[in-house]
Amino acid sequence: MKYALYLGCTVQTEQYGYEASVRTTMPRLGVELVDMTGVSCCGFPPFSSVSELAWLYSSARNMAIAEGMGLPIFALCNGCHLSFVETKHKLEHSPELKAKMNEKLAREGLRYEGKAELIHIFELLHDVVGKDKITAAVSNPLEGLRFAAHPGCHAIRPSRIGRPDDPENPKKLDDLITWLGAEAADYPEKIDCCGSSLAAASGKTVLDIAGEKLKAVKRRGFDGLVTTCPFCFKVYDNKQRAIQATVGDRELEVPVFYYTQLLGLAIGVDQESLGLDLNQSPIDPVLEKIGGK
Amino acid sequence: MLIKKKSQKIVDKVNAEACDQCGKCPSSCPVTARVEGFNPRQIIAKVALGREVDLMKSQVIWTCTSCLKCKERCPEEISPYDIMLALRRIAIHLELPHPEGFDESAKVVAETGAVQQPQLVRTRNKERKDRKSMGLPPAEKPRDMAAYTETLRGILEEGEA
Repeated sequence: MKYALYLGCTVQTEQYGYEASVRTTMPRLGVELVDMTGVSCCGFPPFSSVSELAWLYSSARNMAIAEGMGLPIFALCNGCHLSFVETKHKLEHSPELKAKMNEKLAREGLRYEGKAELIHIFELLHDVVGKDKITAAVSNPLEGLRFAAHPGCHAIRPSRIGRPDDPENPKKLDDLITWLGAEAADYPEKIDCCGSSLAAASGKTVLDIAGEKLKAVKRRGFDGLVTTCPFCFKVYDNKQRAIQATVGDRELEVPVFYYTQLLGLAIGVDQESLGLDLNQSPIDPVLEKIGGK
Repeated sequence: MLIKKKSQKIVDKVNAEACDQCGKCPSSCPVTARVEGFNPRQIIAKVALGREVDLMKSQVIWTCTSCLKCKERCPEEISPYDIMLALRRIAIHLELPHPEGFDESAKVVAETGAVQQPQLVRTRNKERKDRKSMGLPPAEKPRDMAAYTETLRGILEEGEA
């Protein structure tokens, strides 16, 4: 199990807790990660609203680098993963576009064939590593905790071009949570959007949308919210104080984790290596319950 | 009219006239529930009536969260989301009024390879951390930045809309 690790802008430049927890947990499950060199932004969202060609070029460029490595791309971010899947799909169906891309890629000595496989973290952990390996690695089960899974929009839609989980009833993140010894329960707001893409147009609406979800997660008695999307995490965790102010509820406190942080705690990785000190939401009561290093 | 000529190409591709106005898209939409005047069903109706230029001149096309529920649930496989993106590209290309930030981040990516440079982040205890103090390797960027930037600038100037 060897993959080209694609971090994407948000993870690489600020969501260090996700990156650190991926880097420390995956090798313990037999997954070898190889850093990609010379990579750039996947194109979504900075180019999707500006130039479709620039968007496709950006994704094709990174996939071309992975092709050169002869490895499947493991893109940590939902947005990057979808951007690659969409670009691959579009270029497969348009030889003209593909030729146009290759003409431009040649300036950097790159070539895109469309051979690179793409893998999402749900597929990697749920379908490739699998239940047996994960449960066997758990030394510190997260018993007595109940988490709300938040797969994130771009992990599950649009299903027509292939996403790693069901668009209306995603279950993989729930399974992954239960394999750590914790409980995951379905809830009506599970597939609701975090709103983060509206940040450029209306920051307040983002906080309103995210606030609704946090309220639901709290009302339904969950111990926390779990995601693998850096955009969603950024809103629910990093902006939780701003959400509280916007919805006018200072007590709207919900611990938020990257799944790989919980995975690390369950398999005995120390908290610092999982970047848990970077979570801005009040996670300490949950950490106390979990114990460990 | 230049705008109409450009947008007509998009409209021809999107099959808006197949819309049954069933209402699945607004009932799924997180923005419709909160922002008055934003309704993907009405967006499709306007496109079907050839009034997409009105949309490009309004705030509507900039108010989507890209949750993709409208695209997922449309029984006619119409995608209000993709239509909004396509109309945004024309609006930007023709320099119609639009929220700040879109052109700026495109420019930053073309010049640096990423939407931002690695940040100094804060822990819950107000300590500062960067990639190095986290034990993470240096951030990556294109090796031949000049060639990368030149290519992307060329694409952006070309404006394929």
